[in-house]
Amino acid sequence: MNTTVDTMTANKSRQAATMQGETSAQGPATPSLSIAMEDRKASRANPAKASSEKLNFWYGSNQALKNINLVIPEHQVTALIGPSGCGKSTFLRCFNRMHDLQADTKYEGAIMLRPDNVNLVGPETDPIEVRMRIGMVFQKANPFPKSVFENVAYGLRLRGINNKTELAERVEQALRGAAIWDEVKDRLNDSALALSGGQMQRVCISRALATEPEILLFDEPTSALDPIATAKIEELITELRARVTVLIVTHNMQQAARVSDFTAFMYLGELVEVDATSKIFTNPAKKATEDYITGRYG
Amino acid sequence: MEADEQSTAAGVMPSKRATGAAASHGGSDPLEGHTSKTMDQSLTELRTHAVEMGGLVIDQVSSAVKALLDRDLRLAELVLSREPLVNDYESRLDRDTLTFIALQQPVATDLRATRAVARVALELERVGDESKKIARFAAKAGAASEHDPVVAVARYLRHMAGLSTTMLRSAVRALDEASPVLAHEVLALDKELDAEFATAIRQLMSFVMEDHQFLRATIDTIFALKGLERIGDHAKNIAEQVLYMVEGERPGRKSA
Repeated sequence: MNTTVDTMTANKSRQAATMQGETSAQGPATPSLSIAMEDRKASRANPAKASSEKLNFWYGSNQALKNINLVIPEHQVTALIGPSGCGKSTFLRCFNRMHDLQADTKYEGAIMLRPDNVNLVGPETDPIEVRMRIGMVFQKANPFPKSVFENVAYGLRLRGINNKTELAERVEQALRGAAIWDEVKDRLNDSALALSGGQMQRVCISRALATEPEILLFDEPTSALDPIATAKIEELITELRARVTVLIVTHNMQQAARVSDFTAFMYLGELVEVDATSKIFTNPAKKATEDYITGRYG
Repeated sequence: MEADEQSTAAGVMPSKRATGAAASHGGSDPLEGHTSKTMDQSLTELRTHAVEMGGLVIDQVSSAVKALLDRDLRLAELVLSREPLVNDYESRLDRDTLTFIALQQPVATDLRATRAVARVALELERVGDESKKIARFAAKAGAASEHDPVVAVARYLRHMAGLSTTMLRSAVRALDEASPVLAHEVLALDKELDAEFATAIRQLMSFVMEDHQFLRATIDTIFALKGLERIGDHAKNIAEQVLYMVEGERPGRKSA
């Protein structure tokens, strides 16, 4: 596990160069040992799990997303940051077609899901099918008014899994995956609404994990939680990386810095900059990014 | 704070912010303009204190060398008595940068500036140590004699002291004004200082071959020259910190 993480870290800069679809015109790096090692590791860069290609989106006549090109690397955490109204949540919601629930919205361009190249926002793609493959966790924990067990089993039942032993196994697996098993194993039949905020949020994450999605979307998952519950969720997101690809919207920049491998900065519906998180928070390339993360915005 | 009064008394290097003068290199200050005024203020304070410390340290260097050349015991003692002030500045800046990081969580330019201040304080503290060593030598050197290694290389000592304080002054101003131009000036001067050091050592070698009864004093003189050469290196390190602070990349190490 440790070596995988190392590789991931070393890959970031190289990958970042290609995340916006740019090709580097740089020649071979200077022959320093560390750079040479980085190059060696970079050849094992994570492939794209999804890529948004010239994505535009409208709420009525209001264009909320403008020509977004962004590659989401597999098994890594990509954070979307930017001021309120910049389009980061809108962008996130495109991934599981949440906008379809609202009238008078329009997608243009594509979000290609790899490896089978399904266009998530294509009119030919069934949104229900999309949501099977892409899970979402919201700002406010929203468990169903059912027991903890039933919350997590819900998606599995929808998929026709009714065998009691299998259900029990997969619910436990999902609850363990969301680091909440130990806290709820003796109260599986209690209402999920009786849990604390942080616990409810982790039950929601279990619910999303149970159906084994390929991408998990987080829309400000900790903004309603206390620091300890927040730390648990952040730790969980870091662990989840091994199982799913994560895309997270957060207003908390320290959170983006702590949990993500890549950070994308959005402003006024456009993608301003995307790079390895360590690069964004030490030396962002664009002034707009710098102004935002250092608190000079507005 | 005592240190503040002392450095002002030394009559050196008030920060441009303290004097209210505009930055001479480049327009608005890249470290200001936060929504949070506390952030602006804290960063300004950190940098101002580093600049004040720089002023004190530069005076330590030139006074120590002057004490040695003029055999001025009182000046040497003044340098030695001010050494704890230099250390106070360093530990205070060390503490303040740490507190600032903990409370304000600076990122990007702000983070690089904070680190630059901490590193600059460390470099300046080492310059202070070098001045102290030169001042100690000055204090024990006694009256100048006809065959004196200090007299033999006085010209080089004077010139190297001039060069190294010029470098330090530009380096500290570069920090104060966030100026890469000034930082590059420092880097360019270092070669000249190294060359002067090499020449001075050659001069001393022929001196000691002619008359080796002053071996002890010759060794001390070599240490003084070496100290000045090291001070140039510290100035260079400060300049590199400033370049990293402003440009986000280490000089000579452009990333892809």
